[in-house]
Amino acid sequence: MNKILLGRYLPGSSLIHRLDPRAKLLLSFYFIIIIFLANNWSSYFLLFFFMALTILLAKIKIGFFWKGVRPLIWLILFTVVLQIFFSTGGTVYWHWGILSVTSTGLVSGIYVFCRFVLIIFMSTLLTLTTPPLEIAGAMESLLKPLKKVHFPVYEVSLMLSIALRFVPTLMDEALKIMNAQRSRGVNFDQGSLMQRLKAVVPLLIPLFVSAFNRAEDLATAMEARGYHGGEGRTKYRVHQWLYHDTLSCLAFLALTIGMLLLRNW
Amino acid sequence: MDLSINFEKVDYIYQPNTPFAHQALNQVSFSLPDESYTAIIGHTGSGKSTLVQHLNGLLKPTHGRLMVQEQMITPQTTNKELSDLRRQVGVVFQFPEAQLFEETVLRDIAFAPKNFGIDEEKAAQLAKEAAEAVRLPDSVLDKSPFELSGGQMRRVAIAGILVMKPKVLVLDEPTAGLDPKGHQEIMELFARLKSQQHLTVILVSHQMDDVAEYADQVLVMEQGKLLTQQTPQQLFSQVEWLNKHHLGLPHATKFAFEIEKKSTFKFSPLPLTVSQLANQLANFLPKGVSQDE
Ligand SMILES: Nc1ncnc2c1ncn2[C@@H]1O[C@H](COP(=O)(O)OP(=O)(O)OP(=O)(O)O)[C@@H](O)[C@H]1O
Ligand SMILES: [Mg+2]
Repeated sequence: MNKILLGRYLPGSSLIHRLDPRAKLLLSFYFIIIIFLANNWSSYFLLFFFMALTILLAKIKIGFFWKGVRPLIWLILFTVVLQIFFSTGGTVYWHWGILSVTSTGLVSGIYVFCRFVLIIFMSTLLTLTTPPLEIAGAMESLLKPLKKVHFPVYEVSLMLSIALRFVPTLMDEALKIMNAQRSRGVNFDQGSLMQRLKAVVPLLIPLFVSAFNRAEDLATAMEARGYHGGEGRTKYRVHQWLYHDTLSCLAFLALTIGMLLLRNW
Repeated sequence: MDLSINFEKVDYIYQPNTPFAHQALNQVSFSLPDESYTAIIGHTGSGKSTLVQHLNGLLKPTHGRLMVQEQMITPQTTNKELSDLRRQVGVVFQFPEAQLFEETVLRDIAFAPKNFGIDEEKAAQLAKEAAEAVRLPDSVLDKSPFELSGGQMRRVAIAGILVMKPKVLVLDEPTAGLDPKGHQEIMELFARLKSQQHLTVILVSHQMDDVAEYADQVLVMEQGKLLTQQTPQQLFSQVEWLNKHHLGLPHATKFAFEIEKKSTFKFSPLPLTVSQLANQLANFLPKGVSQDE
């Protein structure tokens, strides 16, 4: 059950953990854009070097990052294989119809693999070092300008944080209900596809019932404590842009300059 | 007497090999005879629910092994081998009404026997009997389980377990959140079933009054370890030990201790239930007929 949680927060107090979530969110996106600047070995090397440095700073074991890659490994390999077979140029090693393995193909296959790994590593780093609610909070404050065009920023971010908040609760609930139904002879992991689909009904119905009850309780509790929409609400966690946030932006600036210098134009 | 349940050095670790690893059971060993009524007590988070989920193989030990109704459960046991055990061991979970899902009460109760391959007609028959056993009025059987009151839902859920005619009945705080009358009715129901159907009962409870009233032995859990296995009589006479482990006394026993502290009166044996207490006190009070008799 816990395998499903792709990214999840690992509490810690490293520099990366303490960065402003807004900075982390923006810089992670920025990193993913920067990745597409790389087009030769030295620029990829620089990216990996930068990635390794941030992982070191976050004080998280590399194993957690591979765990992020593993569920997507087939997708990645599929893309890599496509890339290898369908690119042309360079020395031809093997050739059949429109399929060919060329030196350019092999190299761009490796590049694609590197891109995937870098993107996954960076997004894993974001979710491992930032509690989900902080990510939601950061999104809210980054989306705020959209209020000008009547985008319901508060509502969307409240929905997002409630959803995130209740993921573990609903997982627990699902586990409990599964156990109760197993005790009544349901087999969730055996039998034909049809049998398995049928086995989901006694899980889903109670889960929905309890989710609705919870939603109602939550709404009552929020109203009882005076919730009246986002307007004029203050925040418990106030984001503060600190020295180290500026510093990490500068580090990314340096990375950008390095990339621009190293890539082939 | 035959052993119904035997734990040998059972460890259970939640999410092993992650930073969230948590050892919920630590070298737990004990055995329970057939047809015994065992209470498991201990603080919240001490591992009681984890322990009872081993009894029908919902959890398998991380290390060690256990035997339930002649079925050995080791870390390697597969779910397939456990299907028979699930039938023999009925588990009523904390807030069991969360398991209800069918359109009608009767169909929900009949769910388990159908899963175990009993035909529709026989299952409905068994369900009717189980509904009767938990004293559900006939009028609710065709209603949706979600229309019932909390107490009635609880009964439906319990009937949904009893319908399997288990040999071992595991009750994880079965009366949490019920009113006093509902609580008493349900507890008496279990006691009656135990003697009628010769069940082995395991009750997880925070209510020392129930432990004193119904159990013939008590397992005390603390932080995943089994502290002791004793009879209620032995356990509740060790006030200091209980205090040290932040465990309470049955009301009658507490009252008896207070009396002993404030007078020269000595109880023997120590009363555990209100009726034992009343009997002993009555022997010392002037005999006579009360006015309204
Ligand atoms: N699914 C789970 N994943 C991780 N840890 C868990 C899980 N379920 C329980 N635990 C932990 O295992 C320990 C024992 O939990 P358990 O539910 O067995 O306690 P309990 O004695 O039944 O408590 P209560 O009286 O509150 O029901 C607790 O510390 C709990 O946090
Ligand atoms: Mg429990």
